[in-house]
Amino acid sequence: MHNGQTSIELIFPSILGYEVVARRVVATFADFVGFDQARIDDLKTAVGEACINAIEHGNQLQPDLPVYITSSYDGHRFAVDVSDTGTNPLAIIKEPKTIEEKLAGAASLRGMGMMLMAALADEFIVEPSAAPGNTVRLIWYQREVAHT
Amino acid sequence: MLEDELRVSTRVIGNIAVIDLVGDVTTFAEAKINAAYQEMSQNGAQQILLNFRQNDYINSAGIAILIGIVTEVTRNDQKLAFSGLSPHFQKIFRMVGLSQYAKIYQDEQEALTDLQDAATA
Amino acid sequence: MSDDTKRSKPSEKMIELRLPSKLGYERVAMDAAASLASRMGFETDRVSALKTAVSEAVTNAIEHGNQHDEAMKVVVLLTVRGDELIVSVTDQGHKTIDEAYVSRVPQISEAMKRDDKGGWGIWLIQELMDEVEFTTAPSGGNQVRMVIHLER
Repeated sequence: MHNGQTSIELIFPSILGYEVVARRVVATFADFVGFDQARIDDLKTAVGEACINAIEHGNQLQPDLPVYITSSYDGHRFAVDVSDTGTNPLAIIKEPKTIEEKLAGAASLRGMGMMLMAALADEFIVEPSAAPGNTVRLIWYQREVAHT
Repeated sequence: MLEDELRVSTRVIGNIAVIDLVGDVTTFAEAKINAAYQEMSQNGAQQILLNFRQNDYINSAGIAILIGIVTEVTRNDQKLAFSGLSPHFQKIFRMVGLSQYAKIYQDEQEALTDLQDAATA
Repeated sequence: MSDDTKRSKPSEKMIELRLPSKLGYERVAMDAAASLASRMGFETDRVSALKTAVSEAVTNAIEHGNQHDEAMKVVVLLTVRGDELIVSVTDQGHKTIDEAYVSRVPQISEAMKRDDKGGWGIWLIQELMDEVEFTTAPSGGNQVRMVIHLER
């Protein structure tokens, strides 16, 4: 059915709340190419976090600055690139902090998004791109056999 | 995936042939719906109920398939009814005129009761 | 942070969606529009109407305008302007919409006599949306512009 790569693109303003539309768009695409509900739930949460980061940090909540999403699927690999156009680099968190550390005040309360993305996606890459703006890439692989 | 968006199954309750349509009714539904109708017709069905479930998406291509069924039903002198449609698709079916050829019931139970009463009356 | 928006009109927000010309992808546009409309406060029945209209417009673009050429894009622009949602669907225009379709009111009794029982899409869009306009985009493709008003 899916020979070759298919992709969809979405551009939306940096306004909190619009990540809901983005989540829905990517979820519908993933459902369409055959991901199961549990994976789609993971994907929605991770994509939502990536969008919020782009809106709040990358684009500093400036409505005029767009957030770009490209989502592609090649029959095996489902990738979601979320890019902002801001000049504020996203902090790269090498070792996600735990909730305990955060509550104890040992780490910033922010950064939970990064932790969630790292935990929910099969691959999670932050690319501070050469041009102004950051790209967060989330990747999931289609599973042929159910994981236990 | 696409082709699995609709599940079609058939059953007979009394003298009513019920065709359950679970999922989306779009251009991809044609073969499945027509096959179910043919099967029920060949078994001598006189009253056919198309029972919709989880039909979040019916489009104009799907409507064309249903008009095809209405055409066959009229030609074969059978009686057709719909049940389980959301308020939105009940409205669309009325707009298109499908309701002139097939009665629209809220749910399966209402349809079965009414169709059985009509048959025994 | 800043309250003033410099470039676009203050009350206008735009979402752009690009889809491959393959049947089934209209679902992505339907859900994007529905999600946005729900956030704006549209009632469930209006959201359902919008979904059907968007699906018909995108399906037309895939089937007719882009002739199922997957490499061609269907561009869906969702604009929130005050209390209205404007949806424009543009294809890359291999084939233009027949004018006759735009003004035609299909009849089921006639459809039953034809082999092709379709042709309901454009009429449905016009019945379901508050304003509908069929134009040619600057790029040369077909463009359907639909508006739905939020009634309070």
